[in-house]
Amino acid sequence: MCGAPAFPDREGVIEVKQLTKRYGRARAVDDLSFTVQPGHVTGFLGPNGAGKSTTMRLILGLDTPTSGEALVNGRRYATLGRPLHEVGALLDANALHPTRSAYNHLLWMARSNGIDPVRVAEVLEQVGLAGVARKKAGGFSLGMKQRLGIAAALLGDPGVLLFDEPVNGLDPDGVRWIRDLMRSLAAEGRTVLLSSHLMSEMALTADRIVIVGRGRLIVETSVKDLTERYDSLESAYLALTAGSVEYGAAR
Amino acid sequence: MNVLAAEWLKIRSIRSNHLILAISLGAILLAVAVAMSAIAMYDSAPASMRAGARIAELEEVVLIVPQLAMGIMGVLAITSEYATGLIRTSFALVPGRRPVLAAKSVVVGGLGLVVGPVVVFATYAVSWWMLESRYPVAGFADRLPTLVTSSLTVAVYALLGLGLGAVLRSAAGAIAILVGLVYVIPMIVGNLPEPWSERLGSVMLGALPREITGEDLTSSVYGALLSPFAAAVALVLYAAVPLGSGLLLIRGRDV
Repeated sequence: MCGAPAFPDREGVIEVKQLTKRYGRARAVDDLSFTVQPGHVTGFLGPNGAGKSTTMRLILGLDTPTSGEALVNGRRYATLGRPLHEVGALLDANALHPTRSAYNHLLWMARSNGIDPVRVAEVLEQVGLAGVARKKAGGFSLGMKQRLGIAAALLGDPGVLLFDEPVNGLDPDGVRWIRDLMRSLAAEGRTVLLSSHLMSEMALTADRIVIVGRGRLIVETSVKDLTERYDSLESAYLALTAGSVEYGAAR
Repeated sequence: MNVLAAEWLKIRSIRSNHLILAISLGAILLAVAVAMSAIAMYDSAPASMRAGARIAELEEVVLIVPQLAMGIMGVLAITSEYATGLIRTSFALVPGRRPVLAAKSVVVGGLGLVVGPVVVFATYAVSWWMLESRYPVAGFADRLPTLVTSSLTVAVYALLGLGLGAVLRSAAGAIAILVGLVYVIPMIVGNLPEPWSERLGSVMLGALPREITGEDLTSSVYGALLSPFAAAVALVLYAAVPLGSGLLLIRGRDV
């Protein structure tokens, strides 16, 4: 795949095509297709176990699909040379070494993708962690870890961003900050795929919505469309996922 | 080179690795302590017994410390990432994955190549300075080949640990096997009936440095059936087999 042609028209687009992932007999993701466009915050919703995190791992090439494919910028993620420049992701805020400092946590990531260390100080400033950069990340609150994970996603100034439950553990100030950050990233023309269970927050943050249940697509539409057909995003979500609440389907 | 720089930073930015290095180098102090007690024993022994006084090579006594310590550093260099979930970040940043493990090998193997010779040669110096007036200590030129091969085993342990960690993805399992290879299996092999004790004893990791140099085994629990070349190949395989398995497995696994 080296030297694959550039796809100017697919720049910033996440394409999930007939994606299926089975773990044993359980189908975590089942023939799922949707497209995420740049310039919007796209909310990624679904009950626990609906396959949201699995889909994100499949997009990032961490899991191998059973069938189907996921493309970013028209290419499979695994073919990207220095992916941080194209895709930033926060999957799990707790994925850090507890005794490594926040600064070093970001610095090794910058090094691995040939990013100027100056960016580390910049993103730490941007997420409000500059004052604790030399502290061990293991001592951070969940909210601070979320900020560190967001800093990591922003490190390479990528056009495509994936955030899995970034709002968990944040204080009201932090929730507001994330909302403004997500919207400004989208306003800059970036692609933002954001999963969350906080419907009222999602209604304020997202323009587009993808809802999945039991690994399958339930609806792919705009927030406006849903709030017009149902009286709120929460009502829409609860009505649409009523038959899909199921635990233990995915890992 | 980017991945190598990243992995080097990962290793040196974790305090427990500093501790592991300190413990490894602490083997030199252990050698000093052993030498002091040997001196005390010699000096309190009746003159008639002093002439026949013998002592095991200090390097061989203390070498297990840096071997195990650096082996554990190798294990943790990858299993700690699986335990925290950081491995997903590492693999998302380097989708080819193999460069991550290769860079870790260079870093922990390189540290082993520094730590091993430092401990072995410093310990030999300790035995020369402290013990030579009382005990027979082989001259440097005679010992040099085995000092070199023994010191290399530290890097082999580091890479063996890393390879086991990459294959098993769990610190507990990898460290258990590592300790088993150093302690438990040689003990079992030593108690097997001949000829199996000697045969299997010849392929134990601890037997290889002297088999490579052909140095006389004075008081070894190991066998010495391998030719120098075969022993050198075996030494390389101890690191190459687990690491190679790790490189093969790392691509296709979901994380």
